[in-house]
Amino acid sequence: MSGRPSGETAIEPAERVDRLGKWSGTSVPRKEDRRLLQGQGAFADDAWQRRMGYAHFVRSPVAHARIVSIDTSKAESLDGVFATLTGQEVRELTEPFFQIAPEPGGKIEEYCLATDKVRYQGDAVALVLAESRDIARDAAELVEVEYEHLPAVVHTVAAADPEAPVLHEEVGSNVVWHGVYDYGDVDWALENADHVVKIDRLHFHRFSSTPLECSAAVVNWDPGTDVVEIYSNNQMPMFASLVIGPSLGVPSNRLQFRSQDIGGAFGIKIGSYPQLAGLALLSKKAGRPVKWTEYRTDHMLSAGHGNERVFLDIEVPVMSDGTILGFKVRAFDDAGAYLHYEPLGAVIWSQVTPGCYRFKHIHVDYTETVTNKCPTVPNRGYSRLQHLWLTERIVDLVAHELGFDPVELRKQNYVQPGDYPYETPNGCIYDSGNLPRALDMALEAIDYPAWRQRQQELGRGSGKRIGIGIGTTLDSGTNNFGQARIINPGLPFSGNGEAAYVKLDLYGEVNVNLGTTPQGQSHETTAAQVVADILGVSPDDVHVTSGFDQRHNTYVAFSGTYASQFAVTGLGAAMGAAEDLRGEILRVASFALEAAEEDIELEDGQAFVRGDRERAIPFMGIANLVYSNVAAMPPELADSVSLNCRHTYRPPFEVPDPETKRGNLTLTYASQTHACVVEIDEESGEVKILDYAVADDCGRLINPTIVEGQVHGATAHGIGAALYETLEYDEDGQLMQSSFYEYHAVTSLDVPALKTVHVETPSPFTPNGAKGMGEGGGAPLHAVCSAIQDALDDESPIVAHTHNPWERVYWLLNPEPGTGRGVGVESR
Amino acid sequence: MLLESVEYTRPATVEEALAALASNEGAAPLAGGQSLINVLKNRVASVAVLVDITRLSELRNVDARSDGSLEIGACVTYDELDRSADVRRGHAILADVAGRIEDQQIRNRGTIGGNCCLSDPTNNLPPLLIALGATMNIQGGAGAREVPAEDFFHGYFSTAVEQGELLRSITLPALEPDAAAGYNSLTIAGDSKAIVRASAYVRVNGTIEEARVVLSVVGPRPIRHAGMEERLRGQPATDETVARASEAVGEGDDLSPPTDAHASADYRRRMARVVARRAVNEAMAKGGSGGE
Amino acid sequence: MSDGDTAHAVKVTINGETHERTVLARTLLVHFIRDVLVLKGTHIGCDTGNCGACTVIYNGRTIKSCMMLAAQADGAEIQTVEGLDENGELGPIQRAFHEHHGLQCGYCTPGLLMSATALLKENPSPSEAEIRRGIRGNVCRCTGYVNVVKSIEAAAEEVSK
Repeated sequence: MSGRPSGETAIEPAERVDRLGKWSGTSVPRKEDRRLLQGQGAFADDAWQRRMGYAHFVRSPVAHARIVSIDTSKAESLDGVFATLTGQEVRELTEPFFQIAPEPGGKIEEYCLATDKVRYQGDAVALVLAESRDIARDAAELVEVEYEHLPAVVHTVAAADPEAPVLHEEVGSNVVWHGVYDYGDVDWALENADHVVKIDRLHFHRFSSTPLECSAAVVNWDPGTDVVEIYSNNQMPMFASLVIGPSLGVPSNRLQFRSQDIGGAFGIKIGSYPQLAGLALLSKKAGRPVKWTEYRTDHMLSAGHGNERVFLDIEVPVMSDGTILGFKVRAFDDAGAYLHYEPLGAVIWSQVTPGCYRFKHIHVDYTETVTNKCPTVPNRGYSRLQHLWLTERIVDLVAHELGFDPVELRKQNYVQPGDYPYETPNGCIYDSGNLPRALDMALEAIDYPAWRQRQQELGRGSGKRIGIGIGTTLDSGTNNFGQARIINPGLPFSGNGEAAYVKLDLYGEVNVNLGTTPQGQSHETTAAQVVADILGVSPDDVHVTSGFDQRHNTYVAFSGTYASQFAVTGLGAAMGAAEDLRGEILRVASFALEAAEEDIELEDGQAFVRGDRERAIPFMGIANLVYSNVAAMPPELADSVSLNCRHTYRPPFEVPDPETKRGNLTLTYASQTHACVVEIDEESGEVKILDYAVADDCGRLINPTIVEGQVHGATAHGIGAALYETLEYDEDGQLMQSSFYEYHAVTSLDVPALKTVHVETPSPFTPNGAKGMGEGGGAPLHAVCSAIQDALDDESPIVAHTHNPWERVYWLLNPEPGTGRGVGVESR
Repeated sequence: MLLESVEYTRPATVEEALAALASNEGAAPLAGGQSLINVLKNRVASVAVLVDITRLSELRNVDARSDGSLEIGACVTYDELDRSADVRRGHAILADVAGRIEDQQIRNRGTIGGNCCLSDPTNNLPPLLIALGATMNIQGGAGAREVPAEDFFHGYFSTAVEQGELLRSITLPALEPDAAAGYNSLTIAGDSKAIVRASAYVRVNGTIEEARVVLSVVGPRPIRHAGMEERLRGQPATDETVARASEAVGEGDDLSPPTDAHASADYRRRMARVVARRAVNEAMAKGGSGGE
Repeated sequence: MSDGDTAHAVKVTINGETHERTVLARTLLVHFIRDVLVLKGTHIGCDTGNCGACTVIYNGRTIKSCMMLAAQADGAEIQTVEGLDENGELGPIQRAFHEHHGLQCGYCTPGLLMSATALLKENPSPSEAEIRRGIRGNVCRCTGYVNVVKSIEAAAEEVSK
């Protein structure tokens, strides 16, 4: 039962002096564009160092096997080969990576190369370094590995069977984490509901946002300084540092991550740390900088996939008026062969436990297993989109099975506009929103009544069907890392934060430097907008350092670009630092202009006395005093200003309770409501999207065009996954989509023109009213599945998979005799 | 990804090319390279010598003859087919199909000869060329020979072209005034890999006098479907006829489609019937206008 | 497999500048452009000719430079993204991408710009469908193509003024 009554929130609204407005809120064109449009970006594979060698990973061709022997002698004797590295050497030179999981999952011993066994097709067994890419690849083929084959486990539910072959003997089974999330009283609800809708099985498939740039790095273990320099496109370098530093025995002050432009990441590039550790060791061994360019096939096999999840025995109590009381489910999550960032996904979904709805009674029995498949890593919408798809399928199927209007049922069960801040059964606080309004706007954008009419007119017999689908979703942002303790109470993590520097340079120019590692999210532009507003300059006059450099940038352990949080954490840090700098400027100006600080305003790069623009000092004059004319100031002023201001933004979190699994797990809840119209060809099952609209609410918009771009991208990823993109293994654990030949990354012919509208409900909890966004919560998966469901006959099987290629839709339209529907209703 | 070591030569004449191909068992012609380079990058097949034939002017012509037939050089690109006024005049369907192969960059490099010689069952052109009654002109050191398109494709990645030979050109006969061709594919996405394809040729004079129905991705090579053709011939040219005839497709063991990452054999078998019917319907709808 | 690569003299004109180099047979054109000539604007995304990040304009037509050997390019005239500027300023298509948010991470952008350049040269006022077909060979994972299409439409208007 919930501890606090709903509405009594643990968070006070953020205090803020709002100086945003002139630039923030407008679609300032991006500062990043020029270099990228001119071919002058600096991506990881563009880096070069003298004496550099080229690395190639030798990967396992089989899913599960014992390594009997590895012979690198032929490879080493090839002309141009500098060095090799094997798992055996790695075991001697390094410690296993630390595990987030408690026991039993925490017992997993993972090194940067496989040591005793390979556990998925693509598992790295050795590294080769050579004078050219070509020779490195030639030599990799000469590494002889003898495998003793073991049976592969490729299904998560089967993997949990005590009789299943075990991947990690030290764990004792394939179950790496299990826990029960129980809120309200679901058994009471099931007993007292008018109807119980029972869904047998729902399957959320594996896919990846597949950033167009694969991983790449130049790693140099500098023999002179003993510093490990890592120029890469890893998107969460502080996490990488925390994992590989202790493994390599290198303190974090001698690990130096750098990146500039990153060609997309979407979470996948959090997972490149094992490779980076291997490259560091290889560099040390060879005494050379090591360059690595991941090929697309390596990327598909081993860079990381999104989580696959199976939901079993779903029971949904519903009252006759349409009120849905909650649900009960058994969830099995497939982490792949090793735990990379997992099992954090086993709690992160619970940021959105009831989805967008006022469900009170929820019971989730959650099991995470390993399988002989590529390890999963956070992929755009990480762990929440799987769960949100479940909640959306539930609402969609309740409407379908009990004959409720799908629009009205949603509106009735949504968290209502007057409910915010809304406390969920597990103690999360939804900050703001207006879901019914967003749904109305999305439906209006597609002209919903007209499509309903068209659907009716089309009838049966034309060979085509029309389906209209709705997907409502949340994009929870700014994690409370304390939720990790719900997984493992021993973990010393909680809260969140980000850091930034804002300074005036020698001639008074504004410089900003962030802790983040953007990959297209336009941090240079939006940071310049908020800083420009606070300091009274134009964004054109704000230089934001491109990329991240651990030698110069400021950071906290949470730094990086992930999980829909920059607008809150990154901009919060930049705004705080800019406010501090503003304060210093005012103090110096107060001295220089002989006026009270509160009478001074900043505009056009000048400080002036309110009402008298003649009494002004330009920032150049302020910088001159502080940097080069310091004796002209009173010592107490000179000693108290530096014009170099660092600020750490800290969201107001408390540590959640691991016992009850309650607490506020995320600061903001952006939402997206999608409306989708599909046409299905009855003969083939081919699905064509005829119309598509998104209503987005991420609170206050800092740059509407950039937000819209993020919405477009997340929508394309979701449509891709719903209809085209999948990562499937055969029973032997062979990946069937190991290149873009088989993995159909959506093209311009597959994504329709998208309509976007904005709802703006500012977050009361953030420094600027914005909510983090960008991941998008997988709404197209919800909407496309809902649209296909809408086109099916009442007696057809239900849409039970996120991925619906033509063949799967064909079988929904033409089920084999004896196929069950996958759903049932008990009514009282 | 990177190729294995390889030798490269760019002969100036067809004769030199044939000599280069005959001199080494590991020699292979390199045309547009849109598949072969990939094969080499993936190191799934080994080639010792790449004989670049893309600049041989004899292979790059579209020759429109007075009888309405066309001779198309093996190294004519998809894009050139798409824009060729000669192709559009009498065989617009070839231009249309070539214009929907993957994407512009591939169309700018990929060649009609390469599309055939690779003999990948999912390729766009082989079923169409069979339906159009094309002749494949093969040149070897000892001389030239002609092979009907129907007999050209032997199986996965295997054709009538022997080691040391070259596909020089493809001849398309004129379409009779009362004949037309149709083409239909079910693809995984827009202008993408095929689940199944069909192409049809029909000649109609009140009733269907002649019919060729070709299916691909239903086995190792494109096949003419004799059963469906038989049920079309002599019948009134109606949708009902075609629908009834298409029931012959997938009826017995006429098809041996693969199961792969994109579709099951069962689904392909069912869809073969659908695309076959659609291709014939398209041909009939155009019928009598000499193709278009 | 061959005993070793043959070496080939290659003379290419890239963005108006002529380069003469010797390359091994197996060197891909894209590696020649990136590693030998150090023009890093042309990218590699998929290795299999599916994504178009390596698109350049080759004798007037777009090609994927990872699907061709450098040796084959002897005598060719090539334009890469570095050749799109007009006197150091963004050209009209680049400007349109900037003004209409036609790029996010920017990795696919050089390839898309080359496809758009070739498309508009051939068809100065394309329909939306023609634009979508024209960029079918360029995978973008950030924009969902919405603003890319918008950018090319705007560039077409600008160019045809």
